[in-house]
Amino acid sequence: MKKFVSSALLKGLLWQFIGILVGGGIVEIFRVILPDSEPFGPFGFSEPAWVLGGFLSAIFFLVGTGVTGDWIKWARGIDTPEHHEEHYSGWEKYVNVSLDHKVIGIQYTIVALALISIGGLFALIFRTELAASGLQFLVTDMKLFGQNGPQLYNTLMSLHGMIMIVSILLGISGIINYVVPLLLGAQDMAFPRMNAFSFWIAVPAAVLLLMSLFLGGFDTGWTAYPPLSAKAPVGMQMFFLGVFVAGWSSILGALNVIVTVVRMRAKGMNAMRMPIFVWAAVATSIIAMTATQLIGLSFQLVMFQRLLGMGFFDPAKGGNPVLFQHLFWFYSHPAVYVFILPGLGVISELLPVFARKPLFGYRWIAMSSLGIALVGFLVWAHHMFTSGMNEYLRVPFMYSTLLVAIPTGVKFFSWVATLWKGKISTPTPMLFVLGGIVVFLLGGLTGPPNATVSTDLHLHDTYFIVGHFHDTIFGGFVFPFFAALYYWFPKATGRRMNETLGKIHFWLMTPSFFVLTFGMMYIGLLGMRRRIADYDPALGFDSTHLVLTVAGYLIATSVLIFIYNFFNSIKNGEKAEGNVWNSRSPEWQVPSPMPMHNYDQPFEVVGEPYDYGLEGSKYVEFAAPVADKHK
Amino acid sequence: MSHTQDKSSALGQGVVIFVYLTVLTLLEFFVAVTFQSVSILVVIAIIKAALVMYYYMHVYKLNDASEGDEHSYEYKTGTNRLGLWLFLLSDAFVFAGLMVVRVNLLGFTRPHLNQTLGLVVTAVLLISSFFMNRGETAMAHGDKKAFMNNTMITFILGLSFFFGVVFVEWRLAAEEGLIASFGNPSVGPMGAVFYMMTGMHAFHVLTGLIFLAVVWNNARKGLYSAEKHWGVEAAAVYWHFVDLVWIFFYPALYLIGKLVN
Repeated sequence: MKKFVSSALLKGLLWQFIGILVGGGIVEIFRVILPDSEPFGPFGFSEPAWVLGGFLSAIFFLVGTGVTGDWIKWARGIDTPEHHEEHYSGWEKYVNVSLDHKVIGIQYTIVALALISIGGLFALIFRTELAASGLQFLVTDMKLFGQNGPQLYNTLMSLHGMIMIVSILLGISGIINYVVPLLLGAQDMAFPRMNAFSFWIAVPAAVLLLMSLFLGGFDTGWTAYPPLSAKAPVGMQMFFLGVFVAGWSSILGALNVIVTVVRMRAKGMNAMRMPIFVWAAVATSIIAMTATQLIGLSFQLVMFQRLLGMGFFDPAKGGNPVLFQHLFWFYSHPAVYVFILPGLGVISELLPVFARKPLFGYRWIAMSSLGIALVGFLVWAHHMFTSGMNEYLRVPFMYSTLLVAIPTGVKFFSWVATLWKGKISTPTPMLFVLGGIVVFLLGGLTGPPNATVSTDLHLHDTYFIVGHFHDTIFGGFVFPFFAALYYWFPKATGRRMNETLGKIHFWLMTPSFFVLTFGMMYIGLLGMRRRIADYDPALGFDSTHLVLTVAGYLIATSVLIFIYNFFNSIKNGEKAEGNVWNSRSPEWQVPSPMPMHNYDQPFEVVGEPYDYGLEGSKYVEFAAPVADKHK
Repeated sequence: MSHTQDKSSALGQGVVIFVYLTVLTLLEFFVAVTFQSVSILVVIAIIKAALVMYYYMHVYKLNDASEGDEHSYEYKTGTNRLGLWLFLLSDAFVFAGLMVVRVNLLGFTRPHLNQTLGLVVTAVLLISSFFMNRGETAMAHGDKKAFMNNTMITFILGLSFFFGVVFVEWRLAAEEGLIASFGNPSVGPMGAVFYMMTGMHAFHVLTGLIFLAVVWNNARKGLYSAEKHWGVEAAAVYWHFVDLVWIFFYPALYLIGKLVN
């Protein structure tokens, strides 16, 4: 316990609290000095005080944890060693600053799981409210954190969106961070300090996001469109700050991935012999590194509009609210490809292992990832068909959106061809891979009706969109993420997760999920609006909503089983130190768990990565037989 | 770092490029006050940007993919260089976004600003880039003293630019009615765009100044040499990037479009 109290994490959080007081205090002192101002608002500080306090709190957090220590030393002209000795062992590694990419990957994953739990909890709360028409417990005469029931519904619904998005960004960073250097044969990421920085900056971001719940919340949904977001309570500003700070985590993490892949590949690993997951990681990083700036900018502009009265999006002053939507979606549409590309990469990476066959059309899959990333930059305005933007923009954006189906179709074709006549075995990771393919197919098929202007005008802002979106994200992220965790868990811990519990997890989650999204799309088609706390009983949706709520609880139960399995298996799992999945990939050729600086001996790439079942083919060759040394 | 040029020809090249940039800037101003051709102004800005990127920021060094030992200083510098350029690419999206905001909200109009001051601060930033280039060239040839002198001049010019924009131009703009008053900054899109663009740029100038101060101080301690001076190169490239942004922001704010009061 004492060790936890003195950890970097708690130090950071304490410093973050001090940062809020300092930033807020500075603003309030100025406000007292300046004439005609009331210093304190409804939540203690006034809005500008919360904003400066929130901003400084993130910086204080980082300084408090010590993650910026080496940079400050460099600026003062003091040299530091390339790698630091690891001071901590066991769980202590994960609550303190570490430069090891494997530790950082696990840190990312744990925080992602925590945020998924919080976001899921929010969903359960408002899903329960929706189980029947009329207001059940989020009633108008209640008051919590300055919000009445329906307002709290809006806050929870909005935060569910953004908390889940941040958890996805952290989840993919976790997998990428852990796996990519191992696949490349690198000792670490290209910039280990920036890597640690990217992780630690996400923690205050999550705190800021959650703070918005207690500061009056906000009712805009995760999209935060002005003019509503220009008038929402202070919680809106904390939401903006949280996303802004989380954005830096994403940008710097992505930059690190690209540089690592370009500069730190093993000998002989040319572009077409890289593991397919690395291609996906690069494609996703290209988007995350560049487009993320635009959501940061758009939120910053609304922040300034609220704080200083700058009329960017205020029609009364001559501003243009639709401009916000363009800036926002320029990131937020490609962002969904950031979410799914690593997941699709995991699917392509694991399929050949469990089908015992070469990956069909390696080059096509690699290029389709890049294709999705690049076409993704050209489709943003399909979210705005009903926004009142110029009508001539509708048709080009409709076609560019439909174009995304082509590279995505290439992937499906290749997956089916890989499975064709394979010797398929179905341990838990493979179950999730197959589940991911089917669910993502449903998400893909329900996409074109939204992309087509004529049908979108009807479907816009209905539960059909909600169902479609959850299909794509479960298929593109959640299922592959679980697959990746089950698959690489032995690499990280030297133990396996329990197969039985894993199978229960899968067979509970998958049917419930189908019920959930089919139900959503069904009532959506019939006209159920999204983002509302109540609906007319005459619509006849009561029974469907009840089923959806039950399905939601079943999914939550299955995830709880997973979390129990995850943490229990770290200590009690069946030992698995060898090549558990009989994979050709380099990280499985050495014993688990991975040693501190990865490979004792460098390896050289001598063949194609996915030639499963081909006699005598080899992917990597180690400089000296490492396996013998450890026996 | 391999020397592809000897010192005097590198310095001479810096002068020639500076002359080109000066002429182009004056031409830009002339075009703006006479026949207002937006396309010519855009072309000139692109040429200026290309000159700065090639001759001052040495973008071609990205191609110096050094082979061999991954732990050598040279190899790491190559890695760092790629990282810095990707960071600048990412940062450029912020500025591009601001440009989109400007075009969308203001179109072919521009705020009423002090033209003389605009030309002066632009010249100051351009000259600072010139001295930065001289400083970096000096360090690449191991001349610590010349590096420190040139960097000091760059720093002073950069600071003057910052003061010129934030303390002079912002006040003049307020007097022109771009914001209601200092205590009441409620503004329409014209003022909002002006303050946001110059403000975001000024913030980058400020970080660049801090960066310059850090490398100046570390040079004083004798931490850089002709072979090992990645910190100097990074500070120089970042400083030129700040200039590069202004190459586009200056015409966007001062030169393009009809005056509106």
